Amino acid sequence: MHFEEILNASLLFLIGTNSTEAHPIVAQKISKALDQGSKLIVADPRKIAFTDRAHIYLPLRPGSNVPLLNGLAYVILKEELYNREFVERYVDNFEAYKHYILSEWDLSRVSRYTGLKPFLIEQAAILYATSKSALILWGLGLSEHRSGSYSAMAAANLATLCGFWGKPGCGAMPLRGQNNVQGACDMGGLPYVLTGYQSYLDEAVRRKFQEVWNVELPINEGKTLPGMLKSALEGKLKALYAMGYDVAMSHGDIGEVWRALSNLEFLVVQDIFMPLSGKYAHVVLPSACVYEKSGTYTNGERRVQLFERAVNPPGQAKPDWWILTELGRRLGHNWNYTSSAEIALEIGKVWQGWAGINHGRLKERGLQWPCLDEQHPGTAILFTSGFPKEKVHLALAKYVPPLEEPEEEYPFILVTIRKLAHYNIGSMTRRVSSLMNLYPEAVLELNPEDAKRLGILEGAKVKVWNKRGEVFYRAHITDRVPQGMVFTDFHFDNALTNILVSPGLDELMDTPEYKVSTVAVAPA
Amino acid sequence: MINIRINGEEISAYPGEILLEVARRANIYIPSLCFLKDKKSPDHPCGLCVVKVEGEGIVRSCVYRVERELEVDTEAPEVKVIRRKILEGLVANHYGDCKAPCHTPCPGGLNIQGYIGFIAKGDFRASLALIKERLPLPASVGRVCPRFCEPVCRRSFVDEPIAINDLKRFVADYGLEKGEVIPELPPLKDKKVAIIGAGPAGLSCAYFLRLEGYQVTLFDKEREPGGLLRYGIPAFKLPKEIVQREVENILKMGIDFIGGRSWGKDFSIDILRKEGYEAVFLAIGARKEKTFGFEGEELAESGFKFLIAFSKDEVDIKAYYGKKVAILGCSYTALDLARTLRRLNCEVEILYPRSKMEVPVPLREIVFGEKEGIKFTYMTVPLSLKKKEGLYYLVLARTSLTEKREIKVLSESAFEMSYDFVFRAWGEAPTDEFKTFGEIEAKLELTPEGTIKVNPHTMQSSIPWVFAGGDFVHGAKTVIQAVASGRRAATAIASFLEGKPLEKTSLTVKFDFSRGKRVEEFDANFIDLFPQERRATLEERTPEERVKDFKEVLSGLTPEEAIREANRCLRCGCLGIHKCDFREILIREDVGVSKSRKRMKYAIEKGHPLIELDSNKCVACFKCVRSCPYGAIFLSVINKGTLQEYITFKFTSACVNCGICVDVCPTGALTKKDLLVPYSRKQARSVKSVCTFCGVGCNLTLWVKNDTILEVTGRDLPPNFGATCVKGRFGFEFYKSKDRLTQPLIRRSIKEEFKPVSWDTALDYVAENLVRIQEKYGPEALGFLCSARTSNEENFLMQKLARAVFKTNNVDCPARV
Repeated sequence: MHFEEILNASLLFLIGTNSTEAHPIVAQKISKALDQGSKLIVADPRKIAFTDRAHIYLPLRPGSNVPLLNGLAYVILKEELYNREFVERYVDNFEAYKHYILSEWDLSRVSRYTGLKPFLIEQAAILYATSKSALILWGLGLSEHRSGSYSAMAAANLATLCGFWGKPGCGAMPLRGQNNVQGACDMGGLPYVLTGYQSYLDEAVRRKFQEVWNVELPINEGKTLPGMLKSALEGKLKALYAMGYDVAMSHGDIGEVWRALSNLEFLVVQDIFMPLSGKYAHVVLPSACVYEKSGTYTNGERRVQLFERAVNPPGQAKPDWWILTELGRRLGHNWNYTSSAEIALEIGKVWQGWAGINHGRLKERGLQWPCLDEQHPGTAILFTSGFPKEKVHLALAKYVPPLEEPEEEYPFILVTIRKLAHYNIGSMTRRVSSLMNLYPEAVLELNPEDAKRLGILEGAKVKVWNKRGEVFYRAHITDRVPQGMVFTDFHFDNALTNILVSPGLDELMDTPEYKVSTVAVAPA
Repeated sequence: MINIRINGEEISAYPGEILLEVARRANIYIPSLCFLKDKKSPDHPCGLCVVKVEGEGIVRSCVYRVERELEVDTEAPEVKVIRRKILEGLVANHYGDCKAPCHTPCPGGLNIQGYIGFIAKGDFRASLALIKERLPLPASVGRVCPRFCEPVCRRSFVDEPIAINDLKRFVADYGLEKGEVIPELPPLKDKKVAIIGAGPAGLSCAYFLRLEGYQVTLFDKEREPGGLLRYGIPAFKLPKEIVQREVENILKMGIDFIGGRSWGKDFSIDILRKEGYEAVFLAIGARKEKTFGFEGEELAESGFKFLIAFSKDEVDIKAYYGKKVAILGCSYTALDLARTLRRLNCEVEILYPRSKMEVPVPLREIVFGEKEGIKFTYMTVPLSLKKKEGLYYLVLARTSLTEKREIKVLSESAFEMSYDFVFRAWGEAPTDEFKTFGEIEAKLELTPEGTIKVNPHTMQSSIPWVFAGGDFVHGAKTVIQAVASGRRAATAIASFLEGKPLEKTSLTVKFDFSRGKRVEEFDANFIDLFPQERRATLEERTPEERVKDFKEVLSGLTPEEAIREANRCLRCGCLGIHKCDFREILIREDVGVSKSRKRMKYAIEKGHPLIELDSNKCVACFKCVRSCPYGAIFLSVINKGTLQEYITFKFTSACVNCGICVDVCPTGALTKKDLLVPYSRKQARSVKSVCTFCGVGCNLTLWVKNDTILEVTGRDLPPNFGATCVKGRFGFEFYKSKDRLTQPLIRRSIKEEFKPVSWDTALDYVAENLVRIQEKYGPEALGFLCSARTSNEENFLMQKLARAVFKTNNVDCPARV
């Protein structure tokens, strides 16, 4: 997928993404599409900026993405608005899916979960299904829930039902939060697959890796980070090596993370600034930052792009690849990489999708994988000529409600969000004076009615707490936020929002449930 | 494709392609201030892109589409006339300084505003690196420079000039203390250059030649290098260890020094030539002492020789201690000598035939002397000197000045004084003795004044491979002037050795807008923008204390003082000069700026958090308005192009600070507040980068100089096509944060403090422990985390480490946060 596709879509459906703050350049393209006449559906509990331009705004209750998406499917199936030809040709499991949706997701049930009027859902479904082309863009508002993975499936199902694949302005696209999260996954930074999403359970795959690496590969199932943390708490995982990943600040329910980390026998952190995890570390290794080394990043379009060294690293800081190479060598392996470019060539050897990628080709512009050989131009849109496995499987998207429901003691739903001037845990952006001038501290957004009731004035200090901890913010009162909900960022180390975050995890993928935690709020 | 001819050159164009774009593709120059690819032309286009199309006449190439074969002339006389008229209209409405006033008088040509800008940001090393591009002896010059720049500093209209030289000294000392900034050295070429004289000019020439890769040998008659820095200037002004370290830093670049070899005595130029030196630079300084011309003058001791001998510890101090001394003349030598003798408890009197206002040294030198108890007697000449029984008898007379300011001796006022010692110190001049040193030397031509004749731009003598500079050429001047001539010579020598003509330095003064230099030309509205703030002063030891020893009188600024002082800078020089198409076009079209506006029309607006607006520099091209994706700029221009022109510019509340307006602005009307260093794009390196923040992955260009990222611009590639958000364009300075981890740290338990260790120790410690745990508990007891901010290659290695080395699939990444 190509971000430019946004301009070709006659309908854009934004769900759980506030690109104005989190992906500003995507937001520019959305604006341009709207200027050109595209229609817009926005589903978000908060009146984000794009709701001002939405043809249909669906202010759903946090955590009810699966009901909403299945409800839309319900209308499309019920009204027979789906793309019959596409479904017959490319789709698998249609009958089971249809049955599941029609029997379980009638609009009264959907309405109960989402808080949306059935009429609105019908309108949205009709607009979506009858558009010439439609593109669903989703963000972490969709995925950071207990049924996050199911939500993604439900979104993909909608596109499949309507045949919105493989054509200009069509598809369903997650907007990746961090600049190389795509690349980290592509490279095999996941417990269940190797580089290029190849399974280590597949003999042929294993043989290929073993030939290049000259070692046997493990086949025991690996643990996700939440799995590792749980294992550390149980005293089974003894050592953790974290590169450029400050688990102690960025994970949900970090209080539990701190307990897990302090239970480790050995923790190595490798970073450009002292991470919060450093508190539990035995070794801290200083890395060179992006400007001080060369390498590639892969963006949300699968576009592999080269960045080149501009300045020298401070002190003894070294590129991460240098550190890992030195370590590999010390551990008796024949690692002789002298540059990031050499490593890139090895990636192409174990993964066909990267076979045509090398740093030389990337000097001018990036390449979108799959890029099969040195002449291959890369692939902008996947699935233009059918799907990888013969047919698209319509998965049954299950609904798992949020772990926590507002109740008397903790009556507010806390949702974590991002702010334009900052990035993730803020370790970089908090160290840029211009950005700090723009957004100097963590702010809690709350509804005017709630503020009045609690006696909170604009700009006042507020305390937010639950049984996991308490955090102080400056209040911003805005009717963009519905009653009973508060929104705040996690960019500041003096307002560790993640300590409040629910211990809930995505049922399938272990993603923490950042988007629904219950809290109490009071003036500080 | 359609074939068209532009200025006789055959070019193919796509049907319907815009003529201006065709020309740009073919690298043919057509000026334009308002053209924006894929955007509509503004309502009032700049009109500079006019060209002549055969059969059609004058057309605007930015809207003209090629539909047929064409004959185009971009430089036709009628085209030039139109452009000139438009440009003159723009010039008449332009008000600003292309370059800061302090830039012009500096003989060293230092980017003063630039190095002050780096200091203001706390980036001392970058500041020093910028200085060392043109001055290899900043700690020395930072102590002895007469400060040509400070008198013209605009800040003096507000309160007092910036302490420019003290700031230079500060970063130079910072470098000496915290580790030098070593320039990148190219590999050595197979060409040798000899430099005679290892003073400031010789050292500077050696430094710049080495930076070009030449093998350099410095010869000096003294045993140690440094020339007058070491042997002339007293330690209380310039400590010897400072000289020692600065000189060492230069020699460490791989420059040979041969001391104790005297030109004319031990060797001649001819011998150097035979030894394979392909060029020679003569920089032996000015060693001939000037005389005044009075009876018995030869009886007076030489101040110059005394200072040299004193610095070599060859003076019998007891002979001079506590004596009554007269010094004739008020040169640098006279002052240095006087202050040296004060430190020997002498009673010192300086006698000078003219008034205090006419002394040939900066007044601050006199003030130091006065404070230390030196007596200055002005308007007094020596008539005769006699020596009797160990005492000097000096007959003096008062003077007055004629209308032509010549000295008139009032002989009736003559009186006699007696002293223990009388020194002469009228200053020094170059000698011509070298003519007798050898065959080649004899051929060197002289000026009418009897000094070696050189081309003032190239420092080349009448023999093409012999160059000369420093005091040897222009008489006793300042260290910075000597350094500058050494640098000029190095450039000329390099061109000579490569057989290339010397690149003409573009003197662009004609094209430099200026807000005015003198107070009467200057618009006071500009200075009203700046509140008064005290100038930083160096701590000065009390006169009573300092005359007891030879330790340095002034101590340097603290980092806090330096940053504060640097922030007093008015930043006169245009901080958009690197992107100023307007100036480039004026130079190309040869339109001078003398008719520019002399008064400020609009206040400089600093209200935007990241962008500074100076409407005085706006050329009303509307590029900012047309490129803003948010419609966040209100711009109205009334009576455009006339003297009644009136501009209103506002950022509206829709602005999200992305900054694209600054990057497209073709002048300094919009500039980035975080860019404090004027630079030219040619001097900077452009590095391809990718934004390190969100998953869109915008392509960026980093503009890099002095190991520092000056600014970031968007690259015209997918996915962003030149756009970025506020973080992409402004969010880069974190890499310079003092919080950066710079050393591996380890500890045995989390209850202990970390201790810094070497990489070897740290990596051994990691390897040992991971292996121990793997062996003891099995691979499942280990976990590895990849990053969303490290490269693909690094993430690949991390999971390889987990799987191939430690045999575990416990690998994860931040896909879940």
